[in-house]
Amino acid sequence: MGWGQRLSRWDIKVSPYLYISPFFILFAIFGAFPLLFNVVVALHDWHRRAGMGDYVGLDNFTWVLQQPLFWRSLENTFSIFLWGGIPQLVLALLIAAVLDQNLRARTFWRMSVLVPFVVMPVATSMIFGQVFGQFGLLVPNLQDLGLLTHVESPFFQDRLLSHAAIGSMVVFRWTGYNSLILLAAMQAVPRELYEASTVDGASRVRQFFSVTIPSIRPTMIFVILTMTIGGLQIFDEVRMFDGGGTGGGKGGADNQWTTVVLYLYNLGFGDWQDRLGQAAAVGWIFAAVIAVFSLVNFLLTRSISSSSARTTRVSKAQRAAAIAKARAVAADSERRAREAGVATLLGRTTPYDDQRAPDDGGPSDDGGPSDDRGPSDDGDVAQPDAPKEGAHR
Amino acid sequence: MMRITKKFAGAAAFCAVASLTLAACGGGGDGGTAQEPSEDNKPEQLTVAAWMDFPQELLDAFEEEHGIEVVVNSFPDGAAAQTVLRNGLSADGAGLSDVHLVELDWWTEMMAIPEDWVELPEIPDRWVDWKVTQGSVDGRITGYGTDIGPLGIAFNQNMTTAAGVATDPESLGEFVGGDDATWQSFLDAGREYVAANDNYFIDSLTNAFQAAINLLPAAFEDPESGLPYDLAENAEVKELFMMFADAAEDGVSAGIAIGHADWGAGFQNEQWATVVTPAWMTGIIAENADGIDGWRIASTFPDGGGNWGGSFFAVPATGENTEWAVTLADYLTSPDAAIDWFNTTGQFPSQLDAMESPEISEAENEFYGGQRVGQIYGELAAAAGDSAAGGFRGENFAGIQTLVTDGIRLVESGGATPEEAWASVVADFEALGFETAG
Repeated sequence: MGWGQRLSRWDIKVSPYLYISPFFILFAIFGAFPLLFNVVVALHDWHRRAGMGDYVGLDNFTWVLQQPLFWRSLENTFSIFLWGGIPQLVLALLIAAVLDQNLRARTFWRMSVLVPFVVMPVATSMIFGQVFGQFGLLVPNLQDLGLLTHVESPFFQDRLLSHAAIGSMVVFRWTGYNSLILLAAMQAVPRELYEASTVDGASRVRQFFSVTIPSIRPTMIFVILTMTIGGLQIFDEVRMFDGGGTGGGKGGADNQWTTVVLYLYNLGFGDWQDRLGQAAAVGWIFAAVIAVFSLVNFLLTRSISSSSARTTRVSKAQRAAAIAKARAVAADSERRAREAGVATLLGRTTPYDDQRAPDDGGPSDDGGPSDDRGPSDDGDVAQPDAPKEGAHR
Repeated sequence: MMRITKKFAGAAAFCAVASLTLAACGGGGDGGTAQEPSEDNKPEQLTVAAWMDFPQELLDAFEEEHGIEVVVNSFPDGAAAQTVLRNGLSADGAGLSDVHLVELDWWTEMMAIPEDWVELPEIPDRWVDWKVTQGSVDGRITGYGTDIGPLGIAFNQNMTTAAGVATDPESLGEFVGGDDATWQSFLDAGREYVAANDNYFIDSLTNAFQAAINLLPAAFEDPESGLPYDLAENAEVKELFMMFADAAEDGVSAGIAIGHADWGAGFQNEQWATVVTPAWMTGIIAENADGIDGWRIASTFPDGGGNWGGSFFAVPATGENTEWAVTLADYLTSPDAAIDWFNTTGQFPSQLDAMESPEISEAENEFYGGQRVGQIYGELAAAAGDSAAGGFRGENFAGIQTLVTDGIRLVESGGATPEEAWASVVADFEALGFETAG
């Protein structure tokens, strides 16, 4: 074997691994190693400067689970997730549906919705912090309208309102991004479905709920899962909400908006606690929580979007297709039964193809086999003449 | 060649991981006294980490004298500098500058392992004694003092005049209790002010509360063992807490302290009439209240005065140029440098010669209506005396102080009554599971 030949063989065998290696090398160093190392930290008494201390087993975990602040931050995290997640999903769907229409300057609109995503979360947070502040855009106007009686900004005091304010940052930042993903999925929905449903007289709203949403289900699941994971890990926005300077960045005087990740950070790297072991334990506990919650979300999304496909009335085009398919199956089994010599048991004396029941008014051309006696949701049994017809023949 | 490549890739990956680990394991300071600076070990550049503006002429003069360029690694605030320093110390000096500015509030934390820092030669008679004591750990000097933070009250003369309570610094002093002013009389004056006005008496009571805490000889921890006292049994702290929390409940303060996103806007909207102001904050207020007339400094302070903060220049032992870094720290804390700094940022010197210098006592400050701010703070520092040094600060002082101060913030925000806030502070403290002293 010549040198050149050998070289090209190696090239084929080795090169692909070389090409993908940068990711795996970087992941090993910055992803896998810290992850595994975190297990070691979580099982030890560990401090920033002093480093590794004694092995303490699961003590760090039990300590964390006994901290009221951990549970409070967990509640906050889920609350902020809901405040940010639900409006985000609804808005993203609507924006994507609008962008899916034949707009002028389509690319311009599509790119525009991505602009908030380009803004750094810290910058977003500081700007929104100003908007919701006592002297910001919102509060003085609400006071003028008489909706607020206190001089102070309630967004830095009331627990739920602070969650709403932080949720609004999440909405601002992520809605455009998700609507582009949803838009991509909507573009892939076959146009025939829309055309057919338009012919059948479905309104735009009806099309959206009956055609678009069921068709983009896998993408919805993807969006909701990434949203769950990202939303629960929220940190920058909460850290910078009150400016993050001296005395700030802790999630409020009463930890109104401390999230789990912020709690973890303050525990391990904050101003004084210096409990890296416990912080690592928080990380693991929270990873488990996210995994469980993502799974629940996944199952929930799947069942909701599939049950909605079942319960919402199907479009005529879909129904016609279903009818046709069912008839074909029925016809097939009937034919086989007849061929097996049990045709009389079915009460049929003539080939089923010849039967033509009068249609009840609707357009009879549904593209299927011309027998209307197949199992359709109109229910042949409800037709009074059907048995008579059979008997007559 | 396939085998070679595989090996090579493995080796590369190993090296990458190993170099990270080794970098983390390597280094390690030996502490101790620095070598003499000489031409042999002279660097081209020295770095200083700090968060205030540097007088440019100070840096230029050092370069001219020694031929070393001084690069300032500038941070937006002390908290940011603290984070970098803390992480650097944990990572054996990675990312640290040759000289670091360390604030009194987190000095104890950074000095937890004294060997992290170069022992600095004694410079007799440069500073007030208590500043040198603060800057030493176990008798070794590890920080050269820059400034101290004598406390005064900055107030908006136009607002107090409109409210009919005080027209000038003297009458404001009388309003809050005169020469015998206590925190109680100060807070009562605040109640009187807010009863008749739409705005607040003070930006936040947290700083005032901390000033009062600072005067306790041993606020949170036992000086003998260093262990925290059981907060539930700490009568002194509880009494102070209730006093300030009651005032907070009465709406004396706006509940917006320095560092809060709304602090600057509060000045611009004339939301509060007074601010507890250490000398180094005078420049910061001037920036935030830019364009608002009428701010003055009163030379009266409750309970005889106090001190908040003040900083030190310290030299991390892991640095490559510790010899010259010590020279730079010495240079940056000379009385002349302190005067330059006073003129740049308003921070008040801890150096005896600088305190007495007419350049400080006679300087007139334009923002504060031509007041001699240096002189006022000199008097405040003298009145506070050695008690300004504060009481015992152990390992957990800053943390427990934050916890208790958060309780005041909670009342300020209307989220709890004083009793509820105290109960919540005690519960938070107990959840941390400290081993407590007797």
